[in-house]
Amino acid sequence: MVAGLELFTLPQQLVNGLLLGSIYALIALGYTMVYGVLKLINFAHGEVFMLGAYAALFASWALGYGPGGHAGQSSILNLAIMLLASMSFCALVGVVIERFAYRPLRNQPRIASLITAIGLSLLLQYGGQIFLLNGVPQSISGNVNPFPGQVSISLRGADKVALAKAEELKPAMIQTQADLEAQLKNEKSRFDLSPKGEALEKKAQEAKRSYDNLIDVANAKTVGINIGYGKIIMFVAVLGLMGILTYLVMFTKRGRAMRAVSHDFSASALMGINVDSIITFTFILGSSLAGAGAMMLATFQSGTKIDPFFGMAYGVKAFVAAVLGGIGNIPGAVLGGLLMGVAENLVDWAGFSNYRDAIAFVILIVVLLFRPGGLLGSAKVEKV
Amino acid sequence: MTCLSLKEATIKFGGLTAVNKVSFELEKGDLFGLIGPNGAGKTTCFNMITGVYEPTSGGIVFEGRNIEGTPSNRIAKLGICRTFQNIRLFRSLSVLENVMVGAFLRHKTSLASALTDMPPAIKETRALRDQAMSLLEVVDLADEANLRSADLPYGSQRRLEIARAMATQPKLLLLDEPAAGMNPQEKLDLMGVVRKIRDEHQMTVLLIEHDMRFVMGLCEKIFVLDHGEEIAYGPPDSVRNDPKVIAAYLGEAV
Amino acid sequence: MKFLGIRLGSIALGLLGCGLIQVIANGQNSFIQLLVILAGLYVTLAVSLNLINGITGQFSIGHAAFYQVGAYTAGVLARSFFDKLHLHPLLWLVLVMIAGAIGAAIAGLVVGLPSLRLRGDYLAIVTLGFGEIINIIARNQETLGKAYGLDIAPRISSVFMVWALAFLTIAVCRNLLKNVHGLTFLAVREDEVASAAMGVDVTRVKVAAFVLGSAFAGAAGALYAHALGFISPTNFSMDVSFIILTMVVLGGTGSITGSALAAIVLFYIPEKMRDLHPMPVSSIVAGAIAIVVTVAVVKRVADNFRGSRRNKTLIIIGSIVGGVVIQLIFSTILRGVPSLQQMVEGSKLRLVVFAVTLVILMLLRPEGVFAHHEFSWSWVKKLLGHADIPETEMSA
Repeated sequence: MVAGLELFTLPQQLVNGLLLGSIYALIALGYTMVYGVLKLINFAHGEVFMLGAYAALFASWALGYGPGGHAGQSSILNLAIMLLASMSFCALVGVVIERFAYRPLRNQPRIASLITAIGLSLLLQYGGQIFLLNGVPQSISGNVNPFPGQVSISLRGADKVALAKAEELKPAMIQTQADLEAQLKNEKSRFDLSPKGEALEKKAQEAKRSYDNLIDVANAKTVGINIGYGKIIMFVAVLGLMGILTYLVMFTKRGRAMRAVSHDFSASALMGINVDSIITFTFILGSSLAGAGAMMLATFQSGTKIDPFFGMAYGVKAFVAAVLGGIGNIPGAVLGGLLMGVAENLVDWAGFSNYRDAIAFVILIVVLLFRPGGLLGSAKVEKV
Repeated sequence: MTCLSLKEATIKFGGLTAVNKVSFELEKGDLFGLIGPNGAGKTTCFNMITGVYEPTSGGIVFEGRNIEGTPSNRIAKLGICRTFQNIRLFRSLSVLENVMVGAFLRHKTSLASALTDMPPAIKETRALRDQAMSLLEVVDLADEANLRSADLPYGSQRRLEIARAMATQPKLLLLDEPAAGMNPQEKLDLMGVVRKIRDEHQMTVLLIEHDMRFVMGLCEKIFVLDHGEEIAYGPPDSVRNDPKVIAAYLGEAV
Repeated sequence: MKFLGIRLGSIALGLLGCGLIQVIANGQNSFIQLLVILAGLYVTLAVSLNLINGITGQFSIGHAAFYQVGAYTAGVLARSFFDKLHLHPLLWLVLVMIAGAIGAAIAGLVVGLPSLRLRGDYLAIVTLGFGEIINIIARNQETLGKAYGLDIAPRISSVFMVWALAFLTIAVCRNLLKNVHGLTFLAVREDEVASAAMGVDVTRVKVAAFVLGSAFAGAAGALYAHALGFISPTNFSMDVSFIILTMVVLGGTGSITGSALAAIVLFYIPEKMRDLHPMPVSSIVAGAIAIVVTVAVVKRVADNFRGSRRNKTLIIIGSIVGGVVIQLIFSTILRGVPSLQQMVEGSKLRLVVFAVTLVILMLLRPEGVFAHHEFSWSWVKKLLGHADIPETEMSA
């Protein structure tokens, strides 16, 4: 069924899209940076993200928010510990993967690395099914979030005319209600009314119905956005991380070396850049961002189910985001991630929620066919 | 009779004009040299002629037909074939098979008859193999026919590229630095091969080369490019003595 | 005349082989019969993917999609027409095979078209995307049974037909490589720019490879639908694509017989693992340690060893034996660790096997077990050190 397009829910969906998109953007950064330096789609990146969520989960258990339950008030400190745990664990996983799976294959055709990446991704998924709590889906306790409330922003209040009409009807409704109550006291049973009682009941119901209808009409026109405090923290943290990344890549020596490697791998090596250490650095950055994204998603998007396969969907969408923005292009990954999140929520909003997961691939195919360089990238001409 | 002519062919990559209003004409049967310092736009000219790049403006006419922007494979079919500066053999195929891919251009049987292994396809495969073999004899690679092409020494790989291009039976053969990396004796042999290609196989030859002795000794007309623009054109002797050429190029190189 | 004799003879021989497999399978219970059928289908799938991946070099990793299109085509046709037409079941099978092949070929055309502009990893991800889109569509369409899938009225499981299809696929690929047309496919794999410069119509070659490869997968899908009598979107998930990919990679890029043999081996081992007794996590950990150590040693030896070939082989065999010993030692030690005593079903390890195969193979022998060789007598002779037989696809 295609629901009518409810314009009034659009702002909320857009905001949801941006919030989800910020997570995609974090993961996409990892894809884009690794692609930049190695020209390799790190297929296992989604699984690194998945492991990050598990690291956050286990950290939350260690802090006392395990399945047994915990009453205490959580704090920013707890969140920071969890964030640190998942970021550092992911960084470690990323480095190990690079060192032992990708580095030995660097001189082989690129397809060999890609196959290895697919193999690793499968291995982490199915290995996770054995070693990670038997693969039973888990979620992080909602109590971990120290700020459970939400902020409501009203963009347009209720329809005043309808509201005024409803107010006019209110006394009549109260009156009929009171009459019915009075009559009920004289009745033998609530379910076996006398003719008079029945008439009063009908009247009361009608009055209430027309009042409710007007209230609905009035509220249907309200446009508001609800955002959990947690998600605001998440968004701010994502922006902060991106700021740090920009600093690292643009203004540090390592960052400059990284850009040099992504521009020309062999020339950088000849210029005395330690390519191996730069690649390791890239994996640390990319993987820890994925870890941060996983932790924040699992903590603030309440009810996120973590299982060994849940990285795949996020990974694929983030990859599409990276391609959309122009793979190898850091601002592009952020833009792509945000657009991807919004696009997904728009598909939901338009009533095609079943096809929510297909939109990523549709975007991917369209981008690759019509603008292979992505929005911010430029297509390379092969040298002949 | 004119074989190929470039008419103010120009190509730009972003802000860079790689080739700027270059015009020249090849007569049928010419041995034509295209020279110039590194980055002068010689290979880019080849890429325009063979349809790898489309010129931004200007025209390329082959046997009276405009060919700019035609896909590579169609241009090969029309009768222009080339070799590559950075050797591009089908590395894991054998020497013979490389040439057979070239010879395939003039095939007549359908894919369906190959998939069902019908007699016409079998016969054609055999015929093309013989044809490829005889071309390998021209470039003196018949003994290496069954080696993996990637395992050949550098000079032989260049000659194999020539044989592969000749197998398409082109009217115009473009050779991109055919003598690069060869020793003097090999270069001498190669000059003989190129002359034989022109004389016995009736092909027009356009070649890019850095070795001046090779170009001057072989070509009858020479066109000099620098920074994407024509700076000289004429027979070897006049080009050799052209002050512009000496300034741009020969001054340092010889 | 001689040609006709050989041709008819080899066809007869092939059919006889299929008949033989059928006869052997008939003596077994229905589960074994199903396994024989599935093995044949995987041979078809692997060999047809090899045409796209290995021979033409278009890295497609969504082969299950074509399998799925074939299966659903057959399913929908069987539901609407089987009862009305009153055909002999085998004749019906032939018809749905053709229909499934056509359906999948159209899908292959749709996927093949973007491949004209994409290379390597980009193409890989697009094929993966197409696979997912097709699966999502199947999951949401009323006529395709949504997430539940389709029941297919007559179950027709014909071992003969399945293996005939497998042999047909192998024969077609072999014919292609035997003739000069096949060289253009290999040339496109090696270098597209050079192929185009030699007049090869790269577009046509790529699309032909996709259409042919997917048509065979579609035919296999049609047979699968009828053999099982029931299909659902989960039967064609990404995992299936990866399984087929592993078979091709293991067999060696471009090797037809390699793909076929790898398909049988890789199908058989995980099936065997279903029957394993549940084992404690500790022995899996021990196995993992053993694999890591063995692979590390073998990799070192393969890369740096300068001694004779025989010594190298001996060391590699030694390290494999060593790996087994390590596994035994560690599983004994780890038996004492209480947190590792949880039992794991053998079937849970199935896809782990594929994943480990892929990774180890890439690390130790990226060109696949058979590399680009075909399994043939001349190759065996060459392995044993006879004669100088050329090393390339065509001649092997």
